[in-house]
Amino acid sequence: MKNKLKIYRAMRDLTQEQLADKIGVSRQTVIAIESDKYLPSLGLAFKISRLFKVKVEDIFLEGETHEN
Amino acid sequence: MNRKKYKQFRVVVAFFVSAIVSGAVFSDSYVLAIAGVLTGMIFMAFVRSKANIRIDEREVTMREKAAQMTYAIFAPTIGIGSFLLLFPSYSGLEVFARGEFVYLESLGMVFAYLTLFLIAIYAISYHFLSRKFGGGGDEE
Repeated sequence: MKNKLKIYRAMRDLTQEQLADKIGVSRQTVIAIESDKYLPSLGLAFKISRLFKVKVEDIFLEGETHEN
Repeated sequence: MNRKKYKQFRVVVAFFVSAIVSGAVFSDSYVLAIAGVLTGMIFMAFVRSKANIRIDEREVTMREKAAQMTYAIFAPTIGIGSFLLLFPSYSGLEVFARGEFVYLESLGMVFAYLTLFLIAIYAISYHFLSRKFGGGGDEE
């Protein structure tokens, strides 16, 4: 699964640290999500989409599956 | 204090505790060893409370995977180890029948009970989590 988190974060002019604070995770987790190494839970995915005021599927794109 | 500093502190404390325990082993002092470990634990608890360490879902996932791997490696290792240690004593071989390697049998027994204990904890926690998360087939 690919995601556009980095793009949305850049559009909002947020640092990884700021985004991490807003969604209640560590900066390492944001890095891992952006680099497609970690697939967030449904709850966290919704939290991210609510923050950027878009649908979950706008950020997380269905494609090749990546198992955590 | 950030995560990097916390990790550095953790390494320093680990070195400190290992040095104290090594010294205690050489000087044959149980009190010193216990004091060293306790000091390390208290200091780590203090540093952890001061550090802004966030346990998020990725961290939890990593811990779950690590626990899974530990179980998958440790249980068969000590299980097979206990069998290998107990087998010669019960095989009727003369060299073992003389009782010269009785400590091997004791170690085998310890390993065997440890294996059973590990499997029992796994089964109990699996049963508990299965009830907690449902999906047992009884729900409508």
